[in-house]
Amino acid sequence: MQPEEEAKAVKEILANLLRAKKMLRMYPQGNPMYVRTLDDLYAKICGFFEYRDELTLKIGQNSIFLDSEQVYHNTEKEDNLAIFLFKDGIRELSFSKDLLRGELEEFMRIIMVDYDREIQEDDVVTLLWEKDFQNIRYVVDEAFLMEEIDEAYEDKAVKALMERPTDTDTLTRAYSDVLQDIKNEEKPVTILPATFDELQLLVNEIEKDASGKLDKLASILFEVFLNADGKHELEDAVDFLSDFIRFSMIHKDIHNVLRVLQRASDLSISPAASDEKRKYIMMLISYVNSEEIIQLLGELTDSAAAVEEEDLRQFTKYLAKEAVSPLIRVLGDLKTIRARKLFIEMIVFLGENDVQALAEKLDDQRWYVVRNIVYILRRIGDKKTVNSLVKTLRHKDTRVRKEVIRTLGEMNGQVALQALKECLADEDPEIRISSARAISAIGSPSAMKVILERISEKEFRELELSERKDFYEILSRWKDTEVFHFLVATLNRKSFFGMSRNYEDMACAAFALGLLGNRDALPVLVKYRETNNKLLKDYVNMAIKRIEHAGS
Amino acid sequence: MPVHEDKEIDLYAKDIINQLSIIMRTANIHSPGNVAVTTAIEKYVYLINPLIKSEKSLLLELFGEFFYINGARIRYSLDYLVNFDFLVREFKKRELGSILFSDFVSPNDLHVFLKAFISSGFSEIPYETMSDEVSGIKRITIGRLKKVSDESRTDTRKTVKKSYFNAVSYVKGVLSKIESGEKINIRKAKRVVESMVDRLPEEEQFLVGMTAIKDYDEYTYNHLVNVSILSVALGHRLGLNKKSLAVLGIAALFHDIGKIEIPHEVLNKPSILNDDEWKVMKKHPLWGVRAILKLRGFDSTAVRSVIVAFEHHLHTDLTGYPKVSDYMELDLYSRIVGITDQYDAMTSSRVYSRTPMAPDKAISMMMERSGTQLDSLLMKFFVNMIGIFPIGTLVMLNTKELGLVYENNEVIPERPKVMIIMDNAGNRIKGSVLNLARKDDSGRYERTIVKTLDPNKYRINLAEYLL
Repeated sequence: MQPEEEAKAVKEILANLLRAKKMLRMYPQGNPMYVRTLDDLYAKICGFFEYRDELTLKIGQNSIFLDSEQVYHNTEKEDNLAIFLFKDGIRELSFSKDLLRGELEEFMRIIMVDYDREIQEDDVVTLLWEKDFQNIRYVVDEAFLMEEIDEAYEDKAVKALMERPTDTDTLTRAYSDVLQDIKNEEKPVTILPATFDELQLLVNEIEKDASGKLDKLASILFEVFLNADGKHELEDAVDFLSDFIRFSMIHKDIHNVLRVLQRASDLSISPAASDEKRKYIMMLISYVNSEEIIQLLGELTDSAAAVEEEDLRQFTKYLAKEAVSPLIRVLGDLKTIRARKLFIEMIVFLGENDVQALAEKLDDQRWYVVRNIVYILRRIGDKKTVNSLVKTLRHKDTRVRKEVIRTLGEMNGQVALQALKECLADEDPEIRISSARAISAIGSPSAMKVILERISEKEFRELELSERKDFYEILSRWKDTEVFHFLVATLNRKSFFGMSRNYEDMACAAFALGLLGNRDALPVLVKYRETNNKLLKDYVNMAIKRIEHAGS
Repeated sequence: MPVHEDKEIDLYAKDIINQLSIIMRTANIHSPGNVAVTTAIEKYVYLINPLIKSEKSLLLELFGEFFYINGARIRYSLDYLVNFDFLVREFKKRELGSILFSDFVSPNDLHVFLKAFISSGFSEIPYETMSDEVSGIKRITIGRLKKVSDESRTDTRKTVKKSYFNAVSYVKGVLSKIESGEKINIRKAKRVVESMVDRLPEEEQFLVGMTAIKDYDEYTYNHLVNVSILSVALGHRLGLNKKSLAVLGIAALFHDIGKIEIPHEVLNKPSILNDDEWKVMKKHPLWGVRAILKLRGFDSTAVRSVIVAFEHHLHTDLTGYPKVSDYMELDLYSRIVGITDQYDAMTSSRVYSRTPMAPDKAISMMMERSGTQLDSLLMKFFVNMIGIFPIGTLVMLNTKELGLVYENNEVIPERPKVMIIMDNAGNRIKGSVLNLARKDDSGRYERTIVKTLDPNKYRINLAEYLL
């Protein structure tokens, strides 16, 4: 290949490499796009090896060269491959003929990291160094290290050492001393090579050593805390333990967090700890209520490494009512149903102690959060929140209103009933039905009266049959004489105006009598068995069957 | 090529070395005709012949501490550590540098080779013996272990010296930055340690030699670098991988960082510390934890550094300081640094004791603590590394020459290289470096150590000779 052809081929390789750098970030390992991108790049590089055994790139600040030919140039700061390698000191990068696909992939995984945005402990050189590639070499200019090194240090140090030369007379004395004492030699330490068993023991030690160190770090931090003297040291120790909790949460290790909290909890009641230390340890425990930790808890609960329910239950033990607010804020950001359920359980547990604080969150701007809070209030069932719930009945989202209605129904009480009664006249049929059901859930005589009144209203007859039928069905929940007589009266009602509506009401009453299951209704129902109105006839027959069947 | 194939190739190459080691080990226990040996040989033939077929030949070489197959370096891995180390030692013992399989080998070829390998182990001239015995096998050729020329050794020594002082200067800069509350760049510290790790396989002796000079003006900085070098060297002997060695090196470099909080008048007190001062001194592991976490947060290297800073005086039996209430066993890195820190401190001159302990005396004293304060297994490896006669030990030879141990001999520890500083008439010279493993024409060693002396007692400036 001619030099210009080689340069062209390398330009293409670099273009491919830059493309791959972006693509591999976008797709997970093993994804067909990921695999194809890598295969293409590998094929391109291998193609070059048909002409040369090695691809050596010289790295400049803004350019990359093949021999003296410039094959890449970019003056932008972003996405600049040259500057990316140059800034860490890489001055030459070589791929040799035997390059393996696996090596190329590892290499790409190093250079695709966004070192400016992602938290990275190491730079590119260190990561390349750790990989110890067989077929990828790099030359590093360590000049940047020299910024922190005094170049004259060696000369100064050596000069200082040489200023104390060995005295010849002393040396001569040493010589004569040793000649006189030559027979009194002490036995030197014996060197025994390690046995096979010892080597095996060592292998086990090294394997064991690879396991996580966070548990040990936690122990050390507690020792630091226990050994701390004075406010300053105690504050530092608590800060470190708090950082440890945050770090473990970031790394989705709730077990470490629970261990720290358990130990802190033990210390907080230990007579061995001073009052001051107990005060600080309480500060540590309360850190789990912070926005930061709750946010991380949300990410953890939402993540693929889903946390066990039992772990969360344990975690909740250490939370206080202060956590409610952040829990609710994070609840709205959760992505999975499971996470939301778990968070709701936590809030139910904590909210019991401060329902008012919880009720205050009903003004959250996110309708789905408000609905969850209403659900939580229902689970808690504290009537102190009824007024707040009643206010929420005016929420603009029907889904929230329905949840409130159901909750008020389960909460019972006069205020709830009055609010629900007003909802029976709502414009939205779903709200009307939900309210009726909620009133039915209250189940009291006054609740029954509210339904009876509603059904008796003149406007009620204007509603759709299905809604009216639902109301009659709801009414039948009360196995009450007043209801029975009302239904019988409705069934017997004659009307010359609006006959078809009247037949529908009669049919609904027959249907409700069937549900009521009172055999005394049979003679009245039988009267309408042969009626000409098909709807009424069907409902009457259905009701008779139901009552007879229930009685048999 | 799919990734799994890359891994398989790597595994295959390791198997070739591992299996060879197994044959040698088995043959050390059983006679060559034993079924265990025969089976191992057959397995080996089955393993290598396909590679010989595809590559036309198979060249197994040893450079430094690493094996290469057809030019590619075979990585060390924990699973093979024991067998790899065994083979490296056996190769070195025979000065064997390479084995070339140029065509299909038969079990019989390998039997002859094995016999030659075993018998050469007992020979005074092992390589020659082996070479003679294998000359009949056409398909197997051996090569002598390549030695680094004296010239390149001088260059290497210079480079190592430069690296050492750069590291000390860097540490000095870092500590002064920490003291003044500035942020430090840990990535740079890693690069300093990485260059040290890179030098280890080939230049362990030189690096460890630099730590033997104990008369530096700035003990604190030199001590940190020395402990880092000795720890990384010991870790390398233990078979830790590169990444782990770098982390160990960093942890060792920062193990005493808590001392920056100790008041200067206590730290540099020229006499014995009183109880209160000791109390302050004993706080430095706790302060070290604080300093590291404030500087670095919780990255994985920081976590290891914290552990080492906290535990390095705690002792294996937890009898040291700080006092702990409820604690688990010491971390491996802490046990390593515990040893190297103690050794370097004992053999260095300090403000309160200008005369340091002789290296061999320090080793003897540490051996007494082995199994209680110090980990006995690690101590064994440490003594193996430092040698019976550590670099810088003043020795009298049977030729009545006085010398300083200049370089250890890994295969025959009692026969290091020695720089002669007084001739047999008691005249001061700066003589050449002699290899005590050298034999005369009659097969006897030319020189042998008959007595060791404390170079500090006679105020011998090791830098004059070792730098």
